[in-house]
Amino acid sequence: MIAIEGLAKAFGPRGAVHAVDGVSFTAPDGQITGLLGPNGAGKTTLLRMLATLVLPDAGHASIDGLDVVRHRYAVRTRIGVLSDARGLYPRLTARENVRYYGVLHGLAGDALEARIDTLFAALGLVDHADRRTQGFSQGERMKVAIARALVHDPATVLLDEPTNGLDIMSVRALREQLRALRGAGKCLLFSSHVMQEVAALCDRIVILSRGRVVAHGTAAELQAQAGTASLEDAFVSLLGTGEGLAA
Amino acid sequence: MLSAGGLRRIGVITRKEIVDASRDRRTVIVSLLSAVVGGPVFLILMFNFMAGQAERARDVILPVIAQDRAPALIAFLEREQVKITPAPDDYEAQIRRGDLDVALVVDPRFDADVAQGKAGTVRLVYDRSRDRGRPAVDQVESLLRAYNRLWGAERLVLRGVTPGVANPLSVEPVDLATPQQSGSLLLFLVGFYALFAGLAGGMAPALDTAAGERERQSLEPLLMTPARPVELALGKWLAVGAYAGLVVLCTLLLFYLTLSFAPLPPVGVPFLFGARELGRFVVVLLPLVIAFPAILLYLAARGRTLKEAQANVSLVFLVVGFLPVFSLFLQWREPEWIAAVPVAGQYSLLRIALRGEALPALQVVMSYAAPIAIAVIALAAVTRLLSRESVLAGR
Repeated sequence: MIAIEGLAKAFGPRGAVHAVDGVSFTAPDGQITGLLGPNGAGKTTLLRMLATLVLPDAGHASIDGLDVVRHRYAVRTRIGVLSDARGLYPRLTARENVRYYGVLHGLAGDALEARIDTLFAALGLVDHADRRTQGFSQGERMKVAIARALVHDPATVLLDEPTNGLDIMSVRALREQLRALRGAGKCLLFSSHVMQEVAALCDRIVILSRGRVVAHGTAAELQAQAGTASLEDAFVSLLGTGEGLAA
Repeated sequence: MLSAGGLRRIGVITRKEIVDASRDRRTVIVSLLSAVVGGPVFLILMFNFMAGQAERARDVILPVIAQDRAPALIAFLEREQVKITPAPDDYEAQIRRGDLDVALVVDPRFDADVAQGKAGTVRLVYDRSRDRGRPAVDQVESLLRAYNRLWGAERLVLRGVTPGVANPLSVEPVDLATPQQSGSLLLFLVGFYALFAGLAGGMAPALDTAAGERERQSLEPLLMTPARPVELALGKWLAVGAYAGLVVLCTLLLFYLTLSFAPLPPVGVPFLFGARELGRFVVVLLPLVIAFPAILLYLAARGRTLKEAQANVSLVFLVVGFLPVFSLFLQWREPEWIAAVPVAGQYSLLRIALRGEALPALQVVMSYAAPIAIAVIALAAVTRLLSRESVLAGR
């Protein structure tokens, strides 16, 4: 479970840009929580704070009760992150890329190889396992990056705009993966600026705008809150603008 | 400090970087080519150059203007194996162009002056700016001086005076240079080459593992693993150091093999670059194999892209290339503390090794201090850089 309380982070000279400005919400296990907001809403900064890469200026965040600042290395063993930056090592094979992260997480030997086999089978990467990632397509790279993020079987999975640059088939494959993870009781936090993405997948939705949470709940709750007939109208109404919500 | 898990992760990182770099075919080929082929080719060229110089001094061809005016001098030169030819009309132009090394002009008044008991004049024409001709010029000049002494001594004897009267000072040169010292310029270049090979060997892996990691966006996910920044810095440094060391070793070994077994022209200097010298070279160059990769890693890590990093890294080459040139202009004897100065100290110690002498222990210890300190500082800086949030900033 992810618990966030009053989290804030500012950048720029004298902290002039409030990227994240007092965000609070919780993301329970066994559910996919969607983080929806236009570009520049603070989604990436928020996820980076949860991933222990960026230190918050104020507030707290914890994952399974472990504070992301005080227990950052313990947190890292429990989270799998598919970040916006998902570069692979082009001269290593898909398996070697994933294995590198596995051994860094303390896995080794047959158990690690079996884990990689399972992941590759689930992602449809078996034929590509021992090829260098040099010539991989966007979708294939994304799959390797997912396998890399999940190799240590983390209880919490953070995904930053995972569908960026993917074709329809890859997006569908990804959704299946995420639903399977939800079925396994994982806590998933999924950021996107595409409303349909979030609506199709998420159990709960957090709408972020200019670093603040403007609404929070299930799709039905958001529609009720905005008093609109469709989810799309609810988003536009809650954000005050349709900007950045293009499909 | 580093935990057991930390040490294990450092090993994992080092191994991954070594495998990754070894698959960079172009870089591997270029590094090995410069070490494996470049070194021997360079040695063979140097040897042929030196052999050519010796040959020029041995078989001097001397064009002479008006040789019939000084038949005794010409006969003396011919006895000394100088080949006398008539000078072409444009001998001055030919010397300027470098087609001729030297020419001798017998003055029109030579016989008349000699008959009157005055000094006869001959002119030695050469171009000082042409180093290639220097051995021939020196050879002719020393023969002319020898003839001058011989002639003068004969005259004194004719007058019943012992020649020692005109030569109160007898200079007997005693050259203390061992055969190794004579060849030390060549071997110094060997050291210089090996040192640069170490720098070049570490460059490509450093750029790839630091700036390449940022450029291809694989650093951010890596920083989200349990690997601490200090472990990443150390692991990558070990990998880059392994490559730098390997290239240095290859280069030295190939020099050794070339000098031992290649059919090099005899240059009159028995070169010794045996296993002992090889070992001393390794001892002297090791601190740089420790320091260079750390510096390269830091400069490369400062670049967000490979291109930026390359510009940073070229700075090291400038400094390393410049330091020995600086010591070349140093007029006085090198102070002993020079050993403590990185690069300059290594050059100084290499020269000691090349003279066939044992390395002075104190200076060796001194030569290790600064490079190790530099490596520690550079790696601390890399660690700090990797801990900063700004390292995530995109291109």
